[in-house]
Amino acid sequence: MPNNLEGKVAIVTGAGRGIGRGVARLMAEEGASVVVCDLGGNVDGSGADVSVAQQVVNEITEAGGKAVACTESVVSMEGGEQIVQTAIDNFGRLDIVVTCAGILRDRMVFNMTEQEWDDVIAVHLKGTFTVVKNACILFRQQRSGRVITFSSESGLVGNSGQANYGAAKSGIAGFTKVVAKDMGRYGVTANAIAPRATTRMIGSIPDSAAEIRARGGVASISDSSGDDNLRDLDPDAVAPFVCYLASDYAANVNGQTFLVYGDTISLVSQPRPERAIWTETGHWEMDELSDRARNYLTAGIPNPAPAQQQ
Amino acid sequence: MPLLQDKVAIVTGAGRGIGRGVAKLMAQEGASVVVCDLGVNVDGTGADISVAQQVVNEIKEDGGNAVACTESVATMAGGENIVQTAVDNFGKLDIVVTVAGILRDRMVFNMTEQEWDDVIAVHLKGTFTVVKNASILFRQQRSGRIITFSSTSGLYGNSGQANYGAAKDGIAGFTRVCARDLGRYGVTANSISPSASTRMTTSVPDEARALRSARGIAAGGSLRGEAEDVAPMVTWLASDEAAHVNGHVFHVTGGLVTLLNEPEPVKSIRKQGRWTVDELAGVFPATIGIELYNPAPAPPPSA
Repeated sequence: MPNNLEGKVAIVTGAGRGIGRGVARLMAEEGASVVVCDLGGNVDGSGADVSVAQQVVNEITEAGGKAVACTESVVSMEGGEQIVQTAIDNFGRLDIVVTCAGILRDRMVFNMTEQEWDDVIAVHLKGTFTVVKNACILFRQQRSGRVITFSSESGLVGNSGQANYGAAKSGIAGFTKVVAKDMGRYGVTANAIAPRATTRMIGSIPDSAAEIRARGGVASISDSSGDDNLRDLDPDAVAPFVCYLASDYAANVNGQTFLVYGDTISLVSQPRPERAIWTETGHWEMDELSDRARNYLTAGIPNPAPAQQQ
Repeated sequence: MPLLQDKVAIVTGAGRGIGRGVAKLMAQEGASVVVCDLGVNVDGTGADISVAQQVVNEIKEDGGNAVACTESVATMAGGENIVQTAVDNFGKLDIVVTVAGILRDRMVFNMTEQEWDDVIAVHLKGTFTVVKNASILFRQQRSGRIITFSSTSGLYGNSGQANYGAAKDGIAGFTRVCARDLGRYGVTANSISPSASTRMTTSVPDEARALRSARGIAAGGSLRGEAEDVAPMVTWLASDEAAHVNGHVFHVTGGLVTLLNEPEPVKSIRKQGRWTVDELAGVFPATIGIELYNPAPAPPPSA
C-alpha cells in the first residue's frame, strides 16, 4: 500500500463524483484522511443529495481508508469555515485543500441571465476562495500546506457559450497565482489544474452548442487536442498528479498551472510577450500607433472566430 | 478622417485615471462618449456625480460629444441602463470599454467576505453586465468592439490581491469567451493589461511594496506609464482598422504595447496507462520540474 500522504488530512470539494471523487479516493489510498465535500447537487447546481458524499466515504472506508462526509456549501464564507472545521473536528489538523466543486450553466453571452452568471461565479470562484482562505489561516500558522485549485482551458483558452464558466475558471488561475505569492513564504504551495476528462459536467454540454461552434467556424478547445478525444478521458486519471502536488515531494512547486488529461501532464506557460511595439518619445501619436499596430503588432494575428458572411 | 468618426462609445470608470484618458481620446477621434463613473473612492465607498460630469465638460469644451452616466455596473439593471443611455442620447452603440474598478488589498488569510465580494462585483460582474447588454445590440447590428481591462496582477499574481487578481484574470477568460461567442457576428473582444501610475496604484501602500521586495516576493509590472498612455491602443482597437484583432490580451505601459501569448502547454510527460505518485516522484523533478520558478520560496528554517 502506497503511503505518500501518510498522516496528512485533506479536504476535497466536489468529491462526490467525477474528478473530485477520484482525487478523494486516491488520497485516502495514499494514507490521507479525507473530508469528502459534496452537496450532491445536479450539474446546474439545483437539488441536493446527502448520500452522494457518503457513498464515496463508504467506498474509502471499505477499502481501509479514513474519510468523513461534509455537505456544507462552499458559496458562503461560513460554509468554507465549516468545511475546514470538519477536518479539524474529525482528524485534528489540515494539510491539503483541493477545490473541485463546480457547476455549469452554459449560454451564449448575449443570452446569459444574471442568475446564470451569479451562480457559476459563486460556486467556482467564491467557492474556491471560501475554502482556501480559511485553510490558509491554519497553513500560515503551521508553516505548511497545499492548495490545489481547478481551472480550465475554457478560461485559459476560451470556449464559446461559457462566459460565466470561463471567467470563473480563469479567475481561479489568477487567484491561485496570488495565493502562491501570499503563502509561499510560509512553506505553503498553491497550484492550479486544468483538467480534461469525461465527466457528468462535460456530458451536460449540449451537442447543439458544439454544432453551432462548428457551423460558425468557432475554434473549439477539443480541436487543438489532436488525438485526444474529450469524450473518452478517464476522470480518475487526474488524481495521481494532484496527489503528487499534495505530497512532500512537491514542496517547491508553486504558482503553476498544469494541464492534466488521460496519461498526459503538461506545464502551462506563464504569460509572456509575443510581439511588441514602442515609440521613442514614450507617448503615441495615433497615426504612428495605427501604422505600427496594423503592419507589425497584429499582422496575421489568429482570430478564433472570424466574422461570417450573412 | 478621425479614427472613430460617428461611432458611439461607452467607457466605464471614465471619471479618472485610464478611463478618463480613453474617453477623452475617443471623443477627440470623433466618437460620442458615455462617460460612466459613480465618482467613488478607490475602495468603492462614497459617490460624487460631478466626477463624470467634469470629464464630459472637458470633452465638450474641446468640441467633442459626451454625456455623463452614474449608473452602477455591479447589477444587470445598471448595465442595461448604461447601454440605454448610449442609445437614448446618441441613437446607437459601437464600442464598450470597461475600465471601472476598485481595490481592497489584503493578504488572503485576512481577506474578508465583503472585500472579496465587492471587488469581484465591480470588476468581474461589472464587466459582464455592460458587455452582455452591449452584445445584444452588437449581434443584431453585426458589428461592435469590446475592450476589457485585465491586469498583470491576475496574469502573474500580485501578493495581497487575491480578490483583484481573481477578478482581473477572470476578465481575461471572460473576454476570450466573448471573442468566440461574438466573433462570427463581426464583433471583436480584446483585453488590455495596463501598467500606469493612477490613483489606484498609488493606493498600494509603499510599505507593502517594500515588504514584498524585502521578502523576495516578485512584484507585478513596473509602473512607468502615465494613465493617458493607455488610451491610444484602446482607441485603435475600437477602430475599423482593428477588425481582424479578436480574443487577445495586450500589455500597455507608456509608449510600449506588447501582445501576450495565449497560455499553452510548454513541457509534457506522458506514459502508457495511469501514473502512480511514486512514478511521478521520480519523473517530475527530472522533467517538468527542472528549473521551475517559485515566485515566493519559503525561507530556509532559522532560529
